[in-house]
Amino acid sequence: MTHQQGISLGEAPGGAMNRLRRTLARRTEGRALALLIIVVIVTAIMEPIAFTAYEVTLGRIALIGLVALGLTAVILMGELDLAVASTLAVAGVVMASIDNLALGILTALVVGLVIGAVNAFFVVVVGINSFIATLGMLFFLRGAAFVLSGEEPVRLSDIDAGIAFGKPLIGDLTPRMLLFILAFLALHIFVTRVRAGREFYAVGGNRQAAYDAGIPVRRRIFTGFMISGFVAALAGIINTLERTAADPTAGSTVLLASFAAAIIGGVLLTGGRGSVFGTLLGAASLGILQVALTLSGVQVDVQNIVIGSVLFIAVITDPNSLRSVLGSARSFFRGRSRASPTQ
Amino acid sequence: MSKNFLRLASLLAVGMLILAACGDGDSSDTTTGGDAEPAATAAPADGGETFEIFALLPQGNDQPYGTTYLPPFEAKAAELGLNVTITNSQYDADKQASECEVAVAANPDLIILWPAVGDTVRPCLEAANAAGIPVTVTNSDLNPEDQELSAAYSGPDTYGQGVASAEIFCELAGGEDVGIIMVNGLTGNSTAIDREAGFEDTINEQCPNVTILARQPGNWNKDESQIAASEMITAVGAENIGGAYAADDTMVAGVIDAFKAQGIDPASLIITSIGNTFLGNPLVVSGELDGTVFQSSSWDGENAAVVAHQVLTESPSERIVLFMPSVPVTADNADDPSVAPEW
Repeated sequence: MTHQQGISLGEAPGGAMNRLRRTLARRTEGRALALLIIVVIVTAIMEPIAFTAYEVTLGRIALIGLVALGLTAVILMGELDLAVASTLAVAGVVMASIDNLALGILTALVVGLVIGAVNAFFVVVVGINSFIATLGMLFFLRGAAFVLSGEEPVRLSDIDAGIAFGKPLIGDLTPRMLLFILAFLALHIFVTRVRAGREFYAVGGNRQAAYDAGIPVRRRIFTGFMISGFVAALAGIINTLERTAADPTAGSTVLLASFAAAIIGGVLLTGGRGSVFGTLLGAASLGILQVALTLSGVQVDVQNIVIGSVLFIAVITDPNSLRSVLGSARSFFRGRSRASPTQ
Repeated sequence: MSKNFLRLASLLAVGMLILAACGDGDSSDTTTGGDAEPAATAAPADGGETFEIFALLPQGNDQPYGTTYLPPFEAKAAELGLNVTITNSQYDADKQASECEVAVAANPDLIILWPAVGDTVRPCLEAANAAGIPVTVTNSDLNPEDQELSAAYSGPDTYGQGVASAEIFCELAGGEDVGIIMVNGLTGNSTAIDREAGFEDTINEQCPNVTILARQPGNWNKDESQIAASEMITAVGAENIGGAYAADDTMVAGVIDAFKAQGIDPASLIITSIGNTFLGNPLVVSGELDGTVFQSSSWDGENAAVVAHQVLTESPSERIVLFMPSVPVTADNADDPSVAPEW
């Protein structure tokens, strides 16, 4: 009992420094924050227009970040959703195919929720690994987007409404940015304040322990996948409105960018660690970097090298990875020093 | 809990303030020429005026056409005093839309647009027009209803290329009943749609004895085209097929390989395509490909710069349309230096 109190209250000796160390060890956004600071400083020096035209940069962050936010809910539970980009495409096509805009939006959102529920059904009820289940869904939905669209982009019946949607609504903030901020706040509050959301961490951290603790694991996984499907559908709706047409090939670069944003943000792919705020920082770093590189006229191949390097650095600077690398190096050198006298 | 939330809100607020402060301080920069570094600086050969332009392309050195399009484009742009910043959206409409926002924010003298997906570029055109930036279009023209928002088009007559390929086909078919398989370009791509329509309209008009038995996209890719053709040959039966059409030479090479793999001599069939590329021209010479339509990537790239310069210096009141000549290439003229392949 005494031991438990010691852990939960964190009253170890050492005062403020220890508390700070423990806080830093608990947080996962440190690397993303460091990266964001570096990206902001370099961009401010090299391409200040990325900040003077901040509405463009915010738009890019929202473009990358929205799907990544939904994806975070799934990754926190140690699952993957590879179907987000295809969900985005199908939702867009469904929405554009319905003449009544409001009805189209509602239907597309429902489609997103249903896709998430079907993904969860395969993972939870059928017992298929989420990588395989959502990979199958990725192909199924991409094909469905082509079939539903007649293999051509589907134009909105009300193009003027689409163009109006792309215009700033409050100050320089467009509806895309506002919806992104709302989605961020809603998800952040859900996984930090709401019991069901906090249980995502338990499900991802140790599933058996979560079962034993009476957490409804299956229901939580259903919720996570439905959030991911809903947010991807929302991104599809926003893209379709802003482009005034639904493209069945849409989202070709979304999947990898979303995963990159979450990983850079410190979300652990095996689940249990990470935060929605970290994903926001990851998306911000990537978005600013992409805008700066575009403004610099850097070829897309080189952009990919830069983004890949950032992702690589984010992964290898994970404290666990660093500890494991240092541990291996230590054992290697110890082994050599022990072996050397006999040689 | 509340402390954490306050910290988060403060951090967000600081971020927003930094962005807003940067925006306020230099807001004039976004409308007075921008700070974007061009990919290449240029000084006109005649010592005349220089211009800043953005070229929003869907491909670059990642595709054979783009690889041979870019050097003449950049050379001609440098000669005419155009400082070009080039982007490559990799046929992702959302990415190109975001690049367009960046370009408009940089406030160049002109934007050259090669639409990734023709149906989705209207908001980009409207944003450029609202900012007073003229747009010229290269390679793939806009939908008719969007053309008034651009100052010029230079490039192939993509519908006319389909027509020219069909005319070769009809001439070779004579009055015979011929069943064909059709391999089209990337689904949703305006060039693919136009070529397909041009080919189909012409055979319906000029040789209704030619019947399209099956069609599939080959995504401008030889391997995918070969797979698509193999499936169609199996599905409709080799004995029913008297010919094939592919929307470009890369894909027709895949179609020819698919016939060979099933023991069918392609020389015994009527096969046409578009491009006259390094891959297609030898097939015409060998007799495996009956005809193709010459498309010059250097003409395309060079004239994108020429037309942009013309718009900047002459401010024409009417939209300029400069079509690349659609020269049919058959065994009779395949060795002619005037149609020597370029890509």
